[in-house]
Amino acid sequence: MGKNKIWKGLTELRNPERSRLLKEQEFSAETKEDFELSQLGGISRRKFLALSAATAAIATTACSNYRDKGSIVPYNQKLENVLPGKPNFYSSTCTGCANHCGILIKTREGRPIKVDGNPDHPVNKGKICAIGQASILNLYDPERVKKPIKKENGKSRELDWDSAFAEFVNQVRSAVSRNQEIALIAKPVFSPSTARLLEEFKKRFGTTTIYTYDFLESFAKLNAWKQIYPKSDLPEFDFSRAKIVVALESNFLATEGNFVKNIRQFVSNRNVDKPEEFNRLYAFEGDLSLTGANADYRFPLHPSLFPLLLATLINEILSKYSNRLLNNKVPKDKILGLVANQNLENFSGKSGINKSYLELLVKDLIDNQGKALIVTGDSLSEDVHLLAFLLNEILGNTKLYTAKPKPRFSNSSFDDFVQLSKKINAGQVGVIINVDCNPLFHFPEDLGLKQGFSKVPFVVTLTEDNNETAEASNLILPINHNLESWGDYYDGNNLYSTIQPVIEPIFGTFQKEDILLGLVNGQLRAGAFHKFLMDFWKKEIYPSSNFGVDFEQFWFSVLHDAVYIPPSNTVINSYEPSFDFIEHKKLIAELTNDWTLVIKKPYFVGDGKYMNNGWLLELPHPITKVTWDNYAAISENDAKNLKLENGSVVKLQRSGKEIEVPVFIVPGIAEKTIVIEAGFGREVVSVVGKDVGVNPIKLFGLDNSSNGYVFQDIKIIPTGKFRQIASTVEHHSLNDTGLKDLHKSRHIIQEGTLDEFVSGKMEIHRAKELISIIPEVKYTGVKWAMVIDLNKCVGCGACVTACNVENNVPIVGKDQVVRGREMQWIRIDTYFSGTPENPSVSLQPMLCQHCDDAPCENVCPVVATNHSPDGLNQMIYNRCVGTRYCSNNCPYKVRRFNFYDFRDRFADGYLYKDSLRLLNNPEVTVRSRGVMEKCTFCIQRIAEARQDALANGRQLKGTDVKTACQEACPAEAIIFGDMHDKDSELYYWRNHKLGYFVLEELNIKPNVTYIAKLRNKKSEEVA
Amino acid sequence: MSSNIDYSIEPEVVEGQPKLNQINEAIAKPLETRPSWKYLVALGISSTMLLIGAVCLGFSFYYGIGLWGNNQPVGWAIPIVNFVFWVGIGHAGTLISAILFLFRQRWRTGISRFAEAMTIFAVITAGLFPLIHTGRPWLAGYLFPLPNQHRLWVNFTSPLIWDVFAVSTYLTVSFVFWYIGLIPDLAMLRDRTKSKIKKTIYSIFSLGWRHSNRHWHHYEMIYLILAGFATPLVLSVHTIVSFDFAVSILPGWHTTIFPPYFVAGAVFSGFAMVQNVLIVVRKIFNLEHIITLDTLEKMNKVMLATGMMVGYAYGMEFFIAWYSGNPLESFVFLNRAFGNYAWAYWIMVSCNVIFTQLFWFKKIRRNIVAMFIIGVLVNVGMWFERFVIVVTTLSRDFLPSSWDYYKPTLVDIGILLGSFGLFFTLVILFIRSLPVVSISEVKAVVKGSQPVHH
Repeated sequence: MGKNKIWKGLTELRNPERSRLLKEQEFSAETKEDFELSQLGGISRRKFLALSAATAAIATTACSNYRDKGSIVPYNQKLENVLPGKPNFYSSTCTGCANHCGILIKTREGRPIKVDGNPDHPVNKGKICAIGQASILNLYDPERVKKPIKKENGKSRELDWDSAFAEFVNQVRSAVSRNQEIALIAKPVFSPSTARLLEEFKKRFGTTTIYTYDFLESFAKLNAWKQIYPKSDLPEFDFSRAKIVVALESNFLATEGNFVKNIRQFVSNRNVDKPEEFNRLYAFEGDLSLTGANADYRFPLHPSLFPLLLATLINEILSKYSNRLLNNKVPKDKILGLVANQNLENFSGKSGINKSYLELLVKDLIDNQGKALIVTGDSLSEDVHLLAFLLNEILGNTKLYTAKPKPRFSNSSFDDFVQLSKKINAGQVGVIINVDCNPLFHFPEDLGLKQGFSKVPFVVTLTEDNNETAEASNLILPINHNLESWGDYYDGNNLYSTIQPVIEPIFGTFQKEDILLGLVNGQLRAGAFHKFLMDFWKKEIYPSSNFGVDFEQFWFSVLHDAVYIPPSNTVINSYEPSFDFIEHKKLIAELTNDWTLVIKKPYFVGDGKYMNNGWLLELPHPITKVTWDNYAAISENDAKNLKLENGSVVKLQRSGKEIEVPVFIVPGIAEKTIVIEAGFGREVVSVVGKDVGVNPIKLFGLDNSSNGYVFQDIKIIPTGKFRQIASTVEHHSLNDTGLKDLHKSRHIIQEGTLDEFVSGKMEIHRAKELISIIPEVKYTGVKWAMVIDLNKCVGCGACVTACNVENNVPIVGKDQVVRGREMQWIRIDTYFSGTPENPSVSLQPMLCQHCDDAPCENVCPVVATNHSPDGLNQMIYNRCVGTRYCSNNCPYKVRRFNFYDFRDRFADGYLYKDSLRLLNNPEVTVRSRGVMEKCTFCIQRIAEARQDALANGRQLKGTDVKTACQEACPAEAIIFGDMHDKDSELYYWRNHKLGYFVLEELNIKPNVTYIAKLRNKKSEEVA
Repeated sequence: MSSNIDYSIEPEVVEGQPKLNQINEAIAKPLETRPSWKYLVALGISSTMLLIGAVCLGFSFYYGIGLWGNNQPVGWAIPIVNFVFWVGIGHAGTLISAILFLFRQRWRTGISRFAEAMTIFAVITAGLFPLIHTGRPWLAGYLFPLPNQHRLWVNFTSPLIWDVFAVSTYLTVSFVFWYIGLIPDLAMLRDRTKSKIKKTIYSIFSLGWRHSNRHWHHYEMIYLILAGFATPLVLSVHTIVSFDFAVSILPGWHTTIFPPYFVAGAVFSGFAMVQNVLIVVRKIFNLEHIITLDTLEKMNKVMLATGMMVGYAYGMEFFIAWYSGNPLESFVFLNRAFGNYAWAYWIMVSCNVIFTQLFWFKKIRRNIVAMFIIGVLVNVGMWFERFVIVVTTLSRDFLPSSWDYYKPTLVDIGILLGSFGLFFTLVILFIRSLPVVSISEVKAVVKGSQPVHH
């Protein structure tokens, strides 16, 4: 072997040992070590692969057209407190109006989809109004201002936040240095922390003056109150303890005061099982309001006659019943001097109201001293309010007064704004800051604010959406919606509540307090106010709480409930009258019986802020069912005399000012009376509110506020023009005998008087023994049904809006309402009976009746509508071809057809804008064009309840489900549940002797029971 | 005065005593000559109407049927009115060809072919409407009981499904009946023509007809069977169409009088339409001796009879509304006559009941201009009858809160126009492509063609 040695290289030849070693170690020392990822230098193979995969992934996602360029949160990493498919609820406070109801916000996957009342809130008790329900649309409104906008020389351009804020700060500082006033105009401030912030603002910028105001504020009422009760604040009323309510042009059930609370309290005494507790509502009004529609006795009264009415009542009571008066503290003679020479005959002659009714009223008032309320409408004059307060005082009704929420700064008077205007003209104002308000729309032009704005060096408007004031400003700063903001509220007595954001600002805006705080601190920072708020609570409110927990715990528990009632902080209100005013008071300003204009608060558009909210604009007016417009309401006789019809445009003139407004004939309006609801006619507004209504404030001058909003110097001139008004119902004269009272003869509305019911004389019409050729379907288990108590329903419309939001009901627009294609699944029918001069009004919510033998089902050629085993009439949208046969055959006409893709058609795809897509309830199908739809009894809620029951291993119960309309109803008039559950409330009411089905004769077995309305009339006493 | 008329002798159906070849010539002439400018103008007008309808329909498909006037209570309106109207028009054809055939009414021979063709075209026109009136016409297939992966079946309790069957059966049977009748004529044309293409086509469709005795024997038998088969259809189709309304629960729709009333109305309007079109055709193509004034007069008599039946139905509806004591029913009928659609009601009554009374006068019955105008009025009246039934009922039903007035839009009118366009385009194309009168049948009724006893 050694002989033939073959060598590979010199090493092997010379040093065979080393060569052998080298061969053994095939791999070099570095590579032979254990494969340890962490020890590998630089980038490992795996790391490389991982990185290249990630790069590829990033590259592909970055190149794709993924809309959301912001930070995204994938669900594979579970967010705390968010379960996909399960809603979260957050309590907060509504800032839609001064009432500040507690709200409960439902969010799904981080986006708010529904707002309801906070059940823990002591005032609104889980209910909110239609505006509150619909306000969620404003959050997602694609036309919200998204960036700061600077306006220069008639041009506007977007700014970034830093430069916009820097300019704001500079302007404010230089105004202070010039010793010019900084006028901060805002709505009434109820938030203690915002008030503190404003105080700090004032401290920081010494020349600041704060102006706060409310839209159509009743200065007349306030002045009247201060004359008789100089030491106490204007009260609200406790209707739950009132047996007799006399409403004078007051719409306390729909627009005035905290009407959600008012409705609940009022109807709490309308339980047909407790007839002895029934209250009685008298309404005297020029307009026909929802309150008047719900009255037991309603009398149309020309607005000029209100002082006379009250004077007559006071005179009658003091002169005839003075020995029966329980309140001995009133100076009867003094008062009698004021109201002398009035008597019932005289008033009866002037007003045309039968004397016996007035006698009944006087008797009721005397019999129910301390349990009656005379409530005056905000539009009325000082004298009326004064006399009403006086009458309440005489009768001892002040016991029913409760504290009204009181803003932190008392509101500026109209005179303050006149002074502001003067200061502007004198060049004394350097900066005007409009905080979330629209004074140019709310105040008359005569005030000169608009011209004034151009004389002020810098006007800035903090607003969610563009408006008249923003348009006239130098800088617009977009602010957060309430659902994106932090805040709090104090009612001035014993109730705090909090506002918490439930979503990041969608358009990258700041909340208004952040901006103001930024001015104070010189630096704009999101969330600054959150800290300020917590600090405030920690210092001011937490110490007195005595909870024995640390602040964080306290704070979170307050946020959780959004309600905080401090211990032992209850303010007892006393109402000490002073009768000194009588000496220098002279009644009654001579009013003429001629044309009179009354300006009233609108039902659904607030102070005009909601003119961009299609749901609210399309919500039919509770009386006339008019949508998308306001109008001059006049009586039928006046219309006849002036040869006007619905939609005829008239010119209203008043001391050099005029507006053109369409008229609408409303039964029951006093003659020579024109009623216009304000808040409409916004000129700078999103596409939704364009050309909606007329602004009656244009008729206002610098008027004497003691007259209220009743104007006597008005001229009405027909123009011959016509404006199409979109009403959801057909209107015909009540004199048309062929069409009169069909709702009564067809037993759609069944009503009686309380006396008839108590004495057992009231008979509910029922269909005679009905035979069906269709075999009866046996239902086992839960079977759904509904009861609507017409004694409780006041027709406020909250249910309609709640249903719209819950069920993704589209807005169709005015032209489609004109065509009769509104989509709302539930509607409130208004029927008039009696004479056009003084009709009786019946209201009835109408929705799918889920008939057992539903006539819609057997005619559908493709079985797209059918019946579920739990008694629901179902729609299968996918299967629906759209023959509309079901709708034709539905006697209640509650089915709604998608004649267009309304989302696409309304305002050019408005409802398909990105942000509005977030609004949809993910549990409810968004219906396509050509498909029939209708009320489902909120089947998504039923399904959810059933899943919960299954998951928890219990039987599904009827009470597990609340429909959206039921949840929203402030009167709790709607009861939903299982008709087989004999212990349930639903079962009780379904079998109540006052319960009836609409169109029972058809034998289609509807499942919505209506409880017949009882009117508390003394039928025997009054003819 | 009329005592000298011998009723045992039937007046001649074909005037003069044309030779068989003359008949061939007269009837085949339009097929063998170039169209006149009048024909082209007529075709131009009708196809323009068709195009307008097609454009309106295109818009409706694209934007949705919201372009129509339909609204919430009035779910059905002009498209369904059109549907019922055109189905009605289709009724004269089968009545003339089948029922009158069974009753051996020889005067039908001059008009039966044309009437049958009109039936087919009218049913085609009518059949479009149930499909296009839906919200999602692209899903119209759901209306047919086709096996599908969802294992979903149609709803056999819905009258709309009955409609699908009734109308499609009627169309099929009418078409087969018409085609069978055409075979001998096609063979005759095949024998006449010199054009190769025409010859091929005629040869295919005449199915090898050689005028043999055996062929005639089978032909007569099958024709009789089909006539027997088609006869009940005349009654059933409009009966079922009336069920669309009668089976519903709406007052004004839910009445038992509807089936006979609809059939009478259908025959009434169908005869008016056939009469109208024939007056034009016989004039243009010089067929006055084949489609005689006697025939037209007989048609007018049928119109007088059916018009009175319709008038009786109108009266009976009112009587029953009152007699039944059903306030909803009474309201609907009072509302029809005096409510917001009273104008439509009185158009209907005057056109259908009042003007047709003029046919009591022989002079008017035999006056071409007068009968033409009355025929047009009858069709206007019958269209309004359907409008009154469909729209007024829906516009004011049970709950006054849901009432609404229906106003058609321009698109509705356009589609109505388009339906006339489609019908007349088909008719106009037909008169130059197939013999408008049954040559073989006319030959059989010419004087002297049948063996007679002397």
